[in-house]
Amino acid sequence: MAAALEVSGLTLAIGGVNVVDGVAFSVAPGEVMALVGESGCGKSITALALMQLLPGPVRRTAGRILLEGEDVTSLPERRMRQLRGRRISMIFQEPQAALDPLSPVGAQVSEASGLAGGEAREAVHRMLTEVGIADPLRRIDQYPFELSGGMCQRVMIASALIGRPAVLVADEPTTALDVTIQAQILDLLRRLAAERGTAIVLITHDMGVVADIAERVAVMYAGRIAEIGSTTAVFARPRHPYTALLLAAIPRLADVPKSRLAVIEGSVPQPAEYGPGCRFAGRCPFADAHCAAEPPPLRETEEGHSVACWHTERLA
Amino acid sequence: MTSELSVPALAVESLVVHFPARHGPPVRAVDGVSFSVAERETLGLVGESGCGKSTVANAVVGLVRPTRGEVRVAGTPIAGATTHTLRAIRAKAQMVFQDLATSLNPRMTVGAAIGEPLLVRGLARGRALEARVAALLSEVGLRPEHASRYPHQFSGGQRQRIVIARALALRPTLLVCDEPVSALDVSVRAQILNLFVELQQSHAMACLFVSHDLAVVRHVCDRVAVMYLGHLVELAPRDALYATPRHPYTRALLAAAPEPDPELQRAKPRVPLQGEIPSPAAPPPGCVFHTRCPMAVARCREEVPIWRPLGETMVACHRAEESPA
Ligand SMILES: Nc1ncnc2c1ncn2[C@@H]1O[C@H](COP(=O)(O)OP(=O)(O)OP(=O)(O)O)[C@@H](O)[C@H]1O
Ligand SMILES: Nc1ncnc2c1ncn2[C@@H]1O[C@H](COP(=O)(O)OP(=O)(O)OP(=O)(O)O)[C@@H](O)[C@H]1O
Ligand code: SF4
Ligand code: SF4
Ligand SMILES: [Mg+2]
Ligand SMILES: [Mg+2]
Repeated sequence: MAAALEVSGLTLAIGGVNVVDGVAFSVAPGEVMALVGESGCGKSITALALMQLLPGPVRRTAGRILLEGEDVTSLPERRMRQLRGRRISMIFQEPQAALDPLSPVGAQVSEASGLAGGEAREAVHRMLTEVGIADPLRRIDQYPFELSGGMCQRVMIASALIGRPAVLVADEPTTALDVTIQAQILDLLRRLAAERGTAIVLITHDMGVVADIAERVAVMYAGRIAEIGSTTAVFARPRHPYTALLLAAIPRLADVPKSRLAVIEGSVPQPAEYGPGCRFAGRCPFADAHCAAEPPPLRETEEGHSVACWHTERLA
Repeated sequence: MTSELSVPALAVESLVVHFPARHGPPVRAVDGVSFSVAERETLGLVGESGCGKSTVANAVVGLVRPTRGEVRVAGTPIAGATTHTLRAIRAKAQMVFQDLATSLNPRMTVGAAIGEPLLVRGLARGRALEARVAALLSEVGLRPEHASRYPHQFSGGQRQRIVIARALALRPTLLVCDEPVSALDVSVRAQILNLFVELQQSHAMACLFVSHDLAVVRHVCDRVAVMYLGHLVELAPRDALYATPRHPYTRALLAAAPEPDPELQRAKPRVPLQGEIPSPAAPPPGCVFHTRCPMAVARCREEVPIWRPLGETMVACHRAEESPA
């Protein structure tokens, strides 16, 4: 099947530094792909680049973004505005902040639908029901502050999906929510992807969320994809040292309590500290001179599983 | 474990903290909570946002005044204590917060920040103070020469180490940690969790460890208390709580916590809790959990379940003996 979204060579620069460097992935209709990584690795600006909504200091210097086969990077803003909400939509971490505080939620969903009158009202009602809002008739006239965080996120999802976009970009949609509410929202996203065929790019820093919902996962480190593949393969056989250490650093319910967790020495580098070679070299137990000098390309190690590391054999 | 004779490092009895609201009824942030922490023991306090975890922690260190109930640190009640006693208690019970940004004064060197509690109390100065600061820095995995640097020169994980070193300066008998690793990146969080486990072994110190992350709490705690809407619903030794949770809310939390293992996670039975947490200003009558509980029956809507022992567990549920519905 043709990809709903295909990104290649995406490079985003702030000042002279490529804070996102050659990012490439594709998402099929109905598929959930996770973009996972630690704070500052470039997940959100990648998401904003997909929407063509980059903040001032960030420039796209290379790369293509194909939305259902059409390169959106060359589209004028006027055209792009027509695509947002219809072909690609985005939801954010803080639903309360993303909604207009002065407008009833029903009107906000309605506006996103592009419909008017009774038709719009009916579509909004259907959409709010679909995202699991009980008593939608009452909710339609309420303001964001009258709703809980989980309910606001459902409203956000409703506005994002009412235009039936092919792609939904969800930037940490459950990070601000409690685990029991997070489970509800993840179930909802999973169902919407399956039933509507929406391709979902789910951004998160939580490996548990990835394990729960994503068919494929791209692990980002300092602006680059370190490893990408099916979620089962990446978790069972991580081939990048960063992925392997990260997975071993998470306490799990099945571990021996108080056992020593794997540690990645040091901390995530700031963009100003990015060196010429592999950006994980400063913390990697396998790093050598070659790693520090030359960035490793992303290479396929097995069907559908690619890794950017000079020494993948170390973890074989 | 608690022996009959030893005084617990912390005893909290029928603690109630209500915050007055400008309009309407007060927020019942903590509504009758009792537990104790033995010497050298780490007790985890888990629950979802707004359930009252931070309010309990703040009441323990005297930052929030209880509406009713009692807090005793190493046997000494906080309420009604003279300023002098309160100062002594504050030295014994130290707090580590989540918010790294506001925990350290940006204009103070790290050495001055760590040494401040000692200097203020006249416990050390000059060379002795320097030596003690150097020792504290190494205890938390930093280097003595870091003392002359400023907080902004450190990463988030290192700053949390500094905050912990400062909290250890007075050799507290009780460390109260409110979400100490929640703001940290995964790769750095593991470093701090390892540090906690090391400190548990090297320091004769009790710890109240507040977190919303069940896996983190299981990793560092000896016993775990689960809180919902101002109430404790279950308290048990760690292994009992995770292996045989007695309260439906504990089971729901465990089911909802996503495991970083696709096979385990996808094989989990999916029983998402319905609905949302009610407002603590208007908690439901009867069992506070009944509006979301999959096992609720008529009795639950009327009768408050009492806090009672069941094997090694303390639990507040009318149906705690029954297996999950
Ligand atoms: N508006 C902006 N102006 C300047 N720099 C920015 C801006 N937005 C992002 N950056 C920088 O770009 C890099 C990537 O940031 P981004 O927000 O994409 O990270 P992230 O992976 O989403 O992190 P987090 O998990 O914390 O949300 C960071 O170094 C960040 O400081
Ligand atoms: N100073 C205050 N004045 C009024 N209400 C307060 C105050 N502090 C806390 N509350 C309220 O008391 C309740 C319990 O808050 P608390 O911060 O203890 O929860 P928590 O379990 O720590 O939540 P979180 O996981 O979000 O940190 C909440 O409803 C909160 O809004
Ligand atoms: S390329 Fe070298 S430094 Fe980078 S992850 Fe691989 S072994 Fe480590
Ligand atoms: S008392 Fe009733 S409502 Fe409360 S947890 Fe037990 S079964 Fe559920
Ligand atoms: Mg982000
Ligand atoms: Mg709190």
